[in-house]
Amino acid sequence: MIGMIMFGVALVMLMLGFPVAFTFGGVALFFGIFAEGMDLFAFMPYRIMSVMQNTVLMAVPLFIFMGVVLQRTRLAEQLLTSMGRLFGGLPGGLAISTILVGALLAASTGVVGASVVAMGLISLPVMLAHNYDKRLATGTICASGTLGQIVPPSIILIILGDVLGLPVGDLFKAAVMPGIVLIGLYIIYILVITRLKPQTAPAMPPDDSISRGKEIRDALLAIIPPLALIVVVLGSIFTGIATPTESSALGGVGAVVLAIIYRQFSFKMVWDAARDTVSVTAMVFAILIGATAFSMVFSYTGGDYLLEEWLLMLPGEQWGFIILAMLVILVLGFFIDFVEISFIIVPILAPVAEALGINMLWFAILVAMNLQTSFLTPPFGFALFYLKGVAPPNVKTTDIYKGILPFILLQILVLAMIIIFPEWFGMSATY
Amino acid sequence: AQDKFTLKLAETWGPNFPIFGDTTKRFAETVEKMSDGRLTIRIDSANKHKAPLGVFDMVKAGQYDMGHSASYYWKGKVPETLFFTSMPFGMNAMEQYAWFYHGGGMELMQEVYEPHNMLSFPGGNTGVQMGGWFRKEIKSLEDLQGLKMRIPGFAGEVFAEVGVNPTNIAPGELYTALERNTIDAVEWVGPALDLRLGFQQIADYYYTGWHEPATELQFLVNKRVWERLPADLQEIMRVAMRTASYDMLVHSQHENAKAWANIKQDYPNVQIKQFPEDIFQAMYDANKKLLTEAAEDSAIAKKIIDSQLSYQEQSRAYTDISERAYLNTMAEVE
Amino acid sequence: MRWIIKLDEGLAWVSKVCGWVACIAMILMAANVFYDVLTRYVFNDVSIAMQEMEWHLYSVVFLLGIPYALRTDSHVRVDVFYTNWSQKRKAWVNLIGALIFVVPFAYLIGFYGYSFAQDAYQMGEGSGDPGGLPHRWIIKAVIPFSAVFMATAGLNMATYALRVMAGDKEYEGEHSAGGLA
Ligand code: NA
Ligand code: NA
Repeated sequence: MIGMIMFGVALVMLMLGFPVAFTFGGVALFFGIFAEGMDLFAFMPYRIMSVMQNTVLMAVPLFIFMGVVLQRTRLAEQLLTSMGRLFGGLPGGLAISTILVGALLAASTGVVGASVVAMGLISLPVMLAHNYDKRLATGTICASGTLGQIVPPSIILIILGDVLGLPVGDLFKAAVMPGIVLIGLYIIYILVITRLKPQTAPAMPPDDSISRGKEIRDALLAIIPPLALIVVVLGSIFTGIATPTESSALGGVGAVVLAIIYRQFSFKMVWDAARDTVSVTAMVFAILIGATAFSMVFSYTGGDYLLEEWLLMLPGEQWGFIILAMLVILVLGFFIDFVEISFIIVPILAPVAEALGINMLWFAILVAMNLQTSFLTPPFGFALFYLKGVAPPNVKTTDIYKGILPFILLQILVLAMIIIFPEWFGMSATY
Repeated sequence: AQDKFTLKLAETWGPNFPIFGDTTKRFAETVEKMSDGRLTIRIDSANKHKAPLGVFDMVKAGQYDMGHSASYYWKGKVPETLFFTSMPFGMNAMEQYAWFYHGGGMELMQEVYEPHNMLSFPGGNTGVQMGGWFRKEIKSLEDLQGLKMRIPGFAGEVFAEVGVNPTNIAPGELYTALERNTIDAVEWVGPALDLRLGFQQIADYYYTGWHEPATELQFLVNKRVWERLPADLQEIMRVAMRTASYDMLVHSQHENAKAWANIKQDYPNVQIKQFPEDIFQAMYDANKKLLTEAAEDSAIAKKIIDSQLSYQEQSRAYTDISERAYLNTMAEVE
Repeated sequence: MRWIIKLDEGLAWVSKVCGWVACIAMILMAANVFYDVLTRYVFNDVSIAMQEMEWHLYSVVFLLGIPYALRTDSHVRVDVFYTNWSQKRKAWVNLIGALIFVVPFAYLIGFYGYSFAQDAYQMGEGSGDPGGLPHRWIIKAVIPFSAVFMATAGLNMATYALRVMAGDKEYEGEHSAGGLA
């Protein structure tokens, strides 16, 4: 029960505005010492060490570095505004460009911290400069930055493959359609909302001095360099030159090379970019360390056993089970991170699902889709914290909370579609 | 009433990890039943303690009372721990168990673990591990030159000696790395566990094993905790660990056979291959050279290596006229 | 008051040095990973030591970056109420938070991190992989080191809050990493 009380206390403490990472750590400290004694924290060096040796997370500083360099050299701005111009008088063009760039990043990595922060650096300033509604802008970025969880290659699918004993290749294939549908729905949503409320995402003003044809040609030319960079990153993965993590370093070095080509390079620029990268990276990892202290206290005070007990009370009938299991994961996703859910909750649910004759591949995709949502759900959605960490001061936490809501609803909609019409996605609910 | 005890066990594996995780569960069950509830084992998996390779330190420091892991993981800390898991071209499971229980292996193992305030017991065997998944066929030593392979530990050193480039890849990226030729080969465990990672979908050549002919897991017990237990509970622990180990060996055989049947049926692309003789010879020599170097570095390592080599020689001579002779006979008549 | 100003500036200097080291590690890490990809693809050569160096550098980036980010107020806050509060009120939140959250948390990590690193030192722990890096204690020692600097950065947060209360300094709107974007 201590774990549950701790969540409540953490929630209240967060509202006081003290840095999120240390609020998690501090609250964990009090509850941990009170319930288990100081020695519980002897586990902390091990937990920090496991973050240090998690080389997949290396993509976080490296992609942030790429994002910062692109931003400092204004190449990112060029990419997005040019793409926005290609959409001509279409309102929401920048948001759609953001979703497309997010989808490309998603196909190169599955690390949410990396893509949300990189997208935040690259496209938030541009959208705000073009008078986009803060909520629409931040919601779009969080949602497209989190796409990496479902669009393969994805860490979460690999973990689920291991936990459920399913071949990773099958999972990757099965996740392609849901990913595409989700991206499509995001774009449709932008088109609809801008039709209803054009002022939330104004179209980029046409440049009257030049013809539309020249405008398009200029835009295409401007897209080439940064797009080439993305192609290098993606290409290095698809051709096997680099692992997804390593591709982030190619992106960082590539961004510096672009800066040289476009005469934007200086040692000061690189140094400043490194300093910004260190700040933002530290912000992301401090949250990870605070959160690991938090989940440590939660599980060592018996929170995991309590959860297990509750889960075993789920109904033993197919539809009831699926719906309640999805609700449980969605709600838990508000509070604990996806790795914990994959390792603690999924193994408890899996045998029940199997006994009900449920197709485990389908089940795994449902879980992955659901867990992706957990990054976005307030108050503990990490994607929201990460974006807040790089947003200008006039973007408030509440703006991000409100901005993300429609996208959460879209994700739940897709989840419901996969549940009700698995055949649309090339799957079946049972064997 | 008699005192009740609860021991906290940290395992290197995730929760519900097949075969390995079943071993600790079975051990805990046996202990609880045999002691009529006086001794309870609480298992914490890697997702809880987050330190799969911290089991040694945590049991040593007493943060956990016991652990379930594999001795060769501690090679970087205590080089001599390497020898109690499995050695390239070493003994098979039956021979190695005979060495542990009747050939002086247990005593040597305690000698290594004693200074670290721990006792170590055999903790279950995988049997012969497969030699790995390769995307290209290996026909000669030449084909191994510069081959990028995920192969950790001592076997990696042997491979390195014959020209392979051992490469580190995060487990989460292994599949993608192999699929896209970032690396050329992956060594994992055996059909039952390999199947889950899906390598059979992307690599056609599955090589037979030589590097880990009898991978033995281990139970680690903190010595102070062990000494606190009454003699009857100690004995119950001993019996339960030994039964759980035996059970894991046969469980591995069972699951691997089942998984192999599945692979054969569903993935006709997969071919079983054996390295050609010149490769084996080169690796055999490299292994010998590394063992000689290890024996020069430490007196106790020399003692263990000598014990293992002489025991293997004697034991193998009998295996040759019993198990091998029988399998050869079978191969002829079938 | 004068000694508080002195102390505040001294502590700030310590955090800035951490940030400086982290920046160098950041640039080296990018170069390191790039180099490893290049040698593997072009020269078909792999060095486990260089591969391990990647995560050593990456660890330095975030472990020493955390105290630096505390100094620059780059750690994300939930600002539902915080932004609208007076300077004095913010100072109280930061003073109390620093003393009851940051410093004790850093102390525990440092305390247990020290024996964690010491153990590795006494055993002469190194990498278990072929050609891996020796002296694992060095990278493990970065954990207690980082904790010490996290604690000084926490104290620094407190001294700064005192200066704000005395009207000597102000929290600049919210200059989180937000100043960036
Ligand atoms: Na992805
Ligand atoms: Na293996």
